[in-house]
This record gives sequence, C-alpha cells and structure tokens, in this order.
Amino acid sequence: MESGLMETYVMGIATEEEVQKVLSLKKEYPAFKDALEQLEYDMEVLAQSMGIEPPVDALAKIELEINEIQRQNQAIQTTVEAEYSYNKTHQENKRGKYIEVESESNQMRVNKAWKWAFIAVFVLGKIFLAFAIYFYLENRQVKEQLQELKIELKQKIR
Amino acid sequence: MFKAVSNNLSAEPKDIRWFYDQYAPMLLGYINGIVQDQQKSEDHLVVILTSYIKDVAILPEKSRLNIWLELRQYAQSKLTLYTAKDHQLNLNQSVDNGRLDLLDDLQKRIFCAVYYHGKTIQYLAATIGCNESEIRNQLRLSIDKMRRASGN
Repeated sequence: MESGLMETYVMGIATEEEVQKVLSLKKEYPAFKDALEQLEYDMEVLAQSMGIEPPVDALAKIELEINEIQRQNQAIQTTVEAEYSYNKTHQENKRGKYIEVESESNQMRVNKAWKWAFIAVFVLGKIFLAFAIYFYLENRQVKEQLQELKIELKQKIR
Repeated sequence: MFKAVSNNLSAEPKDIRWFYDQYAPMLLGYINGIVQDQQKSEDHLVVILTSYIKDVAILPEKSRLNIWLELRQYAQSKLTLYTAKDHQLNLNQSVDNGRLDLLDDLQKRIFCAVYYHGKTIQYLAATIGCNESEIRNQLRLSIDKMRRASGN
C-alpha cells in the first residue's frame, strides 16, 4: 500500500503487469480491496471539489445531439428494413411470374485432338467424290461408245 | 482499463439526466484542467458527454467509482491534441484549482501531468530527472495531502 501501486492504478497509468498485480491483491486481501475502493471514492470526491458548474444550456445541447443521432439511427434502420422487405417481395414476385426451366445446351465439347481426324475425313471425302465423278463420266463415255458400236454393227449386218 | 461497451444508444432520457447531474460538473472541471479555456472546455464537455453516452452503456446501477475512472480516461483519449503536449499549469487562471493549491511545485507538476495528461511514471522520471520510486512517492504524497484536506 505504501509503494504507490494503488495510486498509479487509480490514476489510470498502471502498466499491464501492475494492473494484474492490483487485481490479484484485490482478490486475495479484503483490506487492500477496501483501501482501493476508498481511494477511488476519494478521487471522485476530489474531482467533485474541482468541478465547475456547466452552462445552463449544456444538457439541452447534449439531449438534442442524442435525439438527432437516435433519429438518424432510426431512419437508417427503417431504410434497411424497407430495402430488405422490397428485395424479399421482389424475389417472391419474380418467382410467381416466371416458371424456372432447366435448359440444356445444344453445343457439345470435343477434344482438340479430333481436329486432325475431322480434316483427314474431309480431305478423303473430297478425293472419293472426285474419283466417283471421274468414274461416273468414264462409265457414261464407255456406255456411249458401246451404243455407237452396236449401231455400227447393226448397220453392217444389214 | 477503459472498455467501450456498445453504441446502441439505449440510454433513457432520465438516465442521461442522472448521468449529467452526477458527472458533468466533475468532467467540466477535469476538461478545464486539460484545456485551460472555459469556452473551449464547455464545447468539449458537450461533445465528449454526447460521444460517451453514444459509445458506452450508462447504467445507474453500475459501480459509480468505475464510471468516473472510465469517463476520465475516455475524456483524456478524446483530448489527445492537448494531452500530447507537456502540461503547462496556469497558476493565474481564474478557475479554482481546489486542493491543488495544497501541493508544492514538484507535487503539483507530477500530479497534473499524471491526472490531466496521463503521463507515465517512466516518462516523468526521465523528464524531471528523478528515479521512478521518487515520482511514485511524490504522487502518493500529493494524493494523501488532498485526501487529508477532505477529512479522509
């Protein structure tokens, strides 16, 4: 009690270690606790003795400020609630107007390696088409020649 | 040590009035000790009390001793512009210094630096050029002197 520990604690400048020490002593020793509470009370009495009467309108100013803050808080709360309520109603309306459909994509994904296979198939297709046209024309020409030969042969037989 | 509790502004008007009647004169005296200007102190009083009521739950049933300690530290934290400077005690000011007049110059310097500006023992020891135990001792003696004058 003579170390000045209580005074530094009550004055609010005790280090964390000193605060822990005070709390521990307060718990362990009722006499220390009583002395500390008495010192705290005396500091309050001291503050009262050094008090100054505030101007008459100070309380009104404080109450006005508090009311203004409360009014702003209420306005913010009302806006938040209104926004929440609008969002909720809007979502419910949306759900009511539209039917949710599970759509499937008509696209398919193919591995890039297949690109060369597709090119090969395309080129081979063109080659086969060219051969087919060639043999078709060749066949038609052969048929015409054969027809001409048949006509010549008939004329010779007559 | 100081704990801000909540800012839900749940204080009733009667609680605010009780709190004001109880602590406004003490706080104004304390602020004036820091600011040393009557008009500025009154302006700070309104701002600090409003802010405290907004930030901290004020409950009449709460331990009264803790309230004053918390309020004092709260005010100090809001007046860092003044508390950051070294305290220059104006002995010629018209404001009543109360029991501070009982202290000698060194005790007054130590008490005011700690009480109004929250200066630590280590800081004062380095500034004044005494060892820490001497500063602690002078602080204890100054508080004892003022307590005895109150009849405690």
